Amino acid sequence: MYLNYNSNDTFVSTGGKNIELNKPTICFVHGAGQNHFSFTQQIRYFANRGYNVLSPDFPGHGFSKGIPNSSIEEDAKWLLGVLEKIGIKKFVLGGHSQGCLTALELSQLKPEVLKGIIFIAGASKIPVNDFLIGKASEDPYKAYDLMVTWGHGNQGSFSISEWPGHHHLSEGNSVMRINEMSALVNDLNSCNNYEGGLSAAENINLDCLVVLARFDIMTPLKAGKKLVNAIKNCESHVLNCGHFLPAEKPKELNRIILEYLKNLDE
Amino acid sequence: MSEKYKFDTMSLHAGHVPDKETGSRAVPIYQTTSYVFNDTDEAAALYNMEVGGHLYTRISNPTVATLEQRLSALEGGVSSIACSSGMAAMHLVISAICSQGDHIVASNKMYGANINLLQHTMPRFGIETEFVNPNNLEQIKKAIKPNTKLVFGEVIGNPGLDIMDISSVAKICEENNIPLVIDATFNTPYLMKPFEFGANIVIHSLTKWLGGHGIAIGGVIINGGNFDWSNKKKFPTIAGPHFALDGISFWEEFGPSAITAKIRAEGMYNFGPSLSPMNAFYVLQGIETLSLRMKRHMENTAHMLKFLSNHEAVSWVKHPDLKSHPDHSIAKKILPKGSGSIIVFGVKGGRDAGKAFIESVQLSSHLANVGDAKTLLIHPGSTTHSHLSSEAMKSAGLTDDMIRLSVGLEDIDDIKKDFEIGFKSILKNN
Repeated sequence: MYLNYNSNDTFVSTGGKNIELNKPTICFVHGAGQNHFSFTQQIRYFANRGYNVLSPDFPGHGFSKGIPNSSIEEDAKWLLGVLEKIGIKKFVLGGHSQGCLTALELSQLKPEVLKGIIFIAGASKIPVNDFLIGKASEDPYKAYDLMVTWGHGNQGSFSISEWPGHHHLSEGNSVMRINEMSALVNDLNSCNNYEGGLSAAENINLDCLVVLARFDIMTPLKAGKKLVNAIKNCESHVLNCGHFLPAEKPKELNRIILEYLKNLDE
Repeated sequence: MSEKYKFDTMSLHAGHVPDKETGSRAVPIYQTTSYVFNDTDEAAALYNMEVGGHLYTRISNPTVATLEQRLSALEGGVSSIACSSGMAAMHLVISAICSQGDHIVASNKMYGANINLLQHTMPRFGIETEFVNPNNLEQIKKAIKPNTKLVFGEVIGNPGLDIMDISSVAKICEENNIPLVIDATFNTPYLMKPFEFGANIVIHSLTKWLGGHGIAIGGVIINGGNFDWSNKKKFPTIAGPHFALDGISFWEEFGPSAITAKIRAEGMYNFGPSLSPMNAFYVLQGIETLSLRMKRHMENTAHMLKFLSNHEAVSWVKHPDLKSHPDHSIAKKILPKGSGSIIVFGVKGGRDAGKAFIESVQLSSHLANVGDAKTLLIHPGSTTHSHLSSEAMKSAGLTDDMIRLSVGLEDIDDIKKDFEIGFKSILKNN
């Protein structure tokens, strides 16, 4: 669906379904330089299993217009505003990579709107090396290549895909090229500068789910485990893939999330 | 283009890891029509394109998917659909993009079946084509109308070996928000990758160099993921609600892979031109040695160009690697590894001499195919176009004396010896 938010055309993927306010809602939040296509194999899946699914393209990302946000705090406020505009009062928030930092910040900003949090290939602190930030600034296409190559596990790099015919690396690159050129560098700086993640994680009083990737070199497993240890009530899983876990292991991830959502509802 | 492993490595490995259950190193041939669902939920998810997977071999198959993923990786595309032939690939692309009342701009220097489909068959379904000289950019610009939905051409034209300046044509297409669809059969991704020059969709006949052994017919559509399909007025069945899957918008749901998602959901489902798993396996075996074969094809082609150019029985030789070819400068720019292993040449003595040559050679095979490991020949004047007068041949860009050679991988001395036998028969008759 398209809506006007902050005077910008804003796209929120719903899996092609209308939003029904009496249904439970899950919101998938994309990572740095990504957009709703990070969750192609989650959006339609959960939208057809009794949930409202909302996966917004942040400003300057995917189909949304506007200048990309420049901090995680701004991201969290923007997300909250979009969901309020749609009329969603409570939801499960699922973040991938940078989306995990957005979720952590939102958990401090307005915890009462959250029913649960799903952290996918994330950490409480995501430092980004200067080289990648530099490339994202001066040559974004090169930075996309680097991220896509680093971000997939070995099987993903070998074009092993659950979706017949798809090649992860080229697809990842094309997804990033839909965004405004400044989106990636803004996102990487937002990640690098965000310091509130660990204390936010320690303050969460919800049942959370963390799904990490064994071969993740963007947010290494070690950093993800630190997040797991910081959250009081947390179920965690480690899948054999790279950072782009939602595309590399969609079925396993969906099964884990579905189980988590059922437990939350009970 | 993002890549962790290089071309030769991906030719061998892309799309497949050893089978978990059996350890099979080779790609298994999944000779099955259908797949057992774990439960109704999984079945629903597959039918509804919520997740990837296989439900019926007409739509997809694990062996075929390995081939598709390998070709996506080698071309630098985001997604592929393999199908029963190169012509099926072309029809699938046209039917996915165009509807009744739409218009196509296409090269007039293409494979006869491509022209036939556009000139005679598609108009019956309300899709008209304007044919243009692929390197006359002004003519292409003028031919584009508000209802033009795609521009189509071949990198290396068959049989005239004209080279399309892909970058220049791609710019025109981009300015007009029209996808550029390229048949890249004669070059294969080893010699040139059209996406790097701005093409949006690439098709191949897998029957030729990719399969490489003349044993299996197949085709593929590879999606560059670099086209904006968001214009609902122009591409209503891709960007707008489609009858399939509850009014799905392929663009909003699948973005860069929208076109292949649509072809999978509509073209493969409704028309059913699927590639058999066995043929997919044969093509995969071919691709494993693609770069080795292409190197040898090009070496032998260079030898044959020299040999033919200096032979007293030969009246002319045409190949884009020769300076005399009108598109030589474009070929040098976009095909630095060589312009493919097809050579066309004329023999002194016209149609009868051509016939005598073809009937005298003993090693080269006289047949209607190209891109085999074996050397192949055909004389259009006495076979495919024998019903045409000399004048009609000329207007089709062919001549009485023309022979099409697909240079094989045999020892070059043996190919030359074989040609000498053919030429002797001409010189004797002359």
